[in-house]
Amino acid sequence: MPFNGFSPLISSQLQYLLNHFPHTIQIEQAWSGTRYFPGSLDRFTLLIPYCLDYIKWDIIYNAEFPLAAPDVIFGPEDDGFHPFLVVGREEGDSRLVKNSLTDWNNKDPSRLLALVMELRDKYRSYQERRVGEVDDDRLKFEISTIISREGIEMHMSSGVEKPGEVKFAVPLMDMNINKMVLGCPWSHPQKIYLQVIYPVGRKYAPAISAPRLKLMCTPELKALFSIDEVKLPAWLDGMCMAEYLPHLEELLQRQVLEAVTLIDVRRQFIEALSPVIGRPLEADPVFCRKASFLVCSGPFTFLVHFFLSTQFPKQRPSLMFQSIQVMFFSLSQPFSFIHESVARKILRHASGANPFFIVRHASGANSFFMCHLSRIPVSLLILGGVRIRSLQILSCIAYLISYFSRAAYSW
Amino acid sequence: MDDLPFQKITISGPTLSALMHRITTSLGDVDGLLFGHVTHLTPSTLTDDNTPQNPDSNVIATITSFFCPNIPLSFYDSLGRVDSVTLHRLVSPTTHQSNSSSSTSNFLGWFSARRKSPIRPSMREFCVSQSLSRLKTAAKGEKDLNPCVFLLFTTPVQGELLYHTHEYRAYQFRVNSRCFDPKSIGIDNIGPDFRGNYGCFSPNSPFPELKCASAMNDEVGEGLNRMDRVLNDQKELDMVAEGFCVKDLGKLMGSETLNSTMSLEDLYEKMLGKLDNLARQVEKSNAKVLEMENHNRKLRYKIARPVPE
Repeated sequence: MPFNGFSPLISSQLQYLLNHFPHTIQIEQAWSGTRYFPGSLDRFTLLIPYCLDYIKWDIIYNAEFPLAAPDVIFGPEDDGFHPFLVVGREEGDSRLVKNSLTDWNNKDPSRLLALVMELRDKYRSYQERRVGEVDDDRLKFEISTIISREGIEMHMSSGVEKPGEVKFAVPLMDMNINKMVLGCPWSHPQKIYLQVIYPVGRKYAPAISAPRLKLMCTPELKALFSIDEVKLPAWLDGMCMAEYLPHLEELLQRQVLEAVTLIDVRRQFIEALSPVIGRPLEADPVFCRKASFLVCSGPFTFLVHFFLSTQFPKQRPSLMFQSIQVMFFSLSQPFSFIHESVARKILRHASGANPFFIVRHASGANSFFMCHLSRIPVSLLILGGVRIRSLQILSCIAYLISYFSRAAYSW
Repeated sequence: MDDLPFQKITISGPTLSALMHRITTSLGDVDGLLFGHVTHLTPSTLTDDNTPQNPDSNVIATITSFFCPNIPLSFYDSLGRVDSVTLHRLVSPTTHQSNSSSSTSNFLGWFSARRKSPIRPSMREFCVSQSLSRLKTAAKGEKDLNPCVFLLFTTPVQGELLYHTHEYRAYQFRVNSRCFDPKSIGIDNIGPDFRGNYGCFSPNSPFPELKCASAMNDEVGEGLNRMDRVLNDQKELDMVAEGFCVKDLGKLMGSETLNSTMSLEDLYEKMLGKLDNLARQVEKSNAKVLEMENHNRKLRYKIARPVPE
């Protein structure tokens, strides 16, 4: 448990924060500020997702005064950010201010969450104000066309050395991906964003260049849909974001829908395997990306792991062989290497084709082959290859070949 | 006008070390008030240039003492809004002794010390400084300056790379631009290198002004009045020296100056005796304070324990 070192009141607030924050929030580091109990943590750095990046804020509690409200130190770039500054001149109206710090109660576990949420909201408006202040006609136009999009975030970064730039995180597609996946395990809503970066501050730039574009998504979405495979439509000269986005959204929508249907294709594939090599020992039930089978060939028993990519029928699956014997016998036994030339010979014999790619693990224990089985390109990773005698490999590969030709499953 | 930028902020070695000691021995994070004075330097370099020198940069803030309430949020709330009533009580002469005896010690600003945290002003520290500066501007006396000095102390976050145990930074809070202006901090020590500073030295507790020396020559004054005055003077003298008789002061001047060295030494000795006595009292009271602090800490932990379900 990461909350071990914290005092009970801080720990319960932290736990609540991590469980209820709408995005994934992390504690980077934690320290103690007390003199006598250096083990009692009371200050920590939070990594808060913002604009497809993280902002680092330090939350400072006081373990000696457990009921006192915490303080926050913002990042070094944000020295102009003063969320709770009372601007009014009169003393009277400052007393009327109400926010998550005014009536702090450390015994309420939800308080830290409320504070961080409020500060993040204020940070967003602060960044919006800063971006709005940038003297750049083109940027002003772009903002006016896309500001109405829900959930858009922007960030202005200006370093001393590097030129300033404005970053946008534009959430794409108004569809709930979580709902489309059967038995969805994600706790946070999954989204795809377009990151748009405009360089600013160069007053006399020779020509207006296209902004830097990059697709990004919430990390868990990668199990369903590989964002790196998407080819972004070209940005034409004189284009603006309002023109570009609908096009891109349409494209993505199609691809996401396709990715969802591919889950079923993978499921069917795994189900089709079981009459031939038995029920899987273990299979990924939601995304059907992985399945492991226990297979035997004569006296030799081994595991076959199937790894299916998100592009499965288009992309070949990877297979990993793992000898049960090696799993159970310890590594202390002397190894006899499968030599590369031996491996080639075996594979040529077994599949009638030359392995076109062999990578031998440095220790010689694992070998990686890519070869064709019945004209189907397959990558094989043979774990603990040393213990498996060449004959066994031969037999298990022969076994698989016979299976594949029998199953005649077309990829 | 009230937003003069300081050239630098200076602090005397003993004050800084006392402050550091307070910080290192504190249980947790502490903060407190800073007192001192502001000196306007006369520019000593005359140039033939016609370019007018910035007169503002000749102001130096000197910190001479501090007050540490030893509890967080003592004169401000969780949002950093200063509670003016508490602040006036803390700044008032009865709380802060050295303020009473002379007008040289003004309320200059405040400090914050927190362990294991980045050396940047926090959200609340900014609000406190801003609130302090507004407070004084609102009720402005003629020679009141903004309590705009802010000293920040931290201990380094990376524990393994300990070249030093403390880090500190000084800032001046600028009212108009509403930001912290980092200032260099100078430490004044005793020694030949700092001779230049002796000119602007003003003691915190000067020797009391006694009228009895001149009265001594009057001899027969109105008996009762004179007795009264002597008693009064003796009381004041007792504040700085232990058991030195007012009458003996006469030996330091006039016809009896022959033995002046001896009686002066006697006076110094008595003053040292007074210091010694005071130190002993401080030691005793410190032990008492520590005991109470420990008791309070236990009570605090008791309150903070989560309610059993």
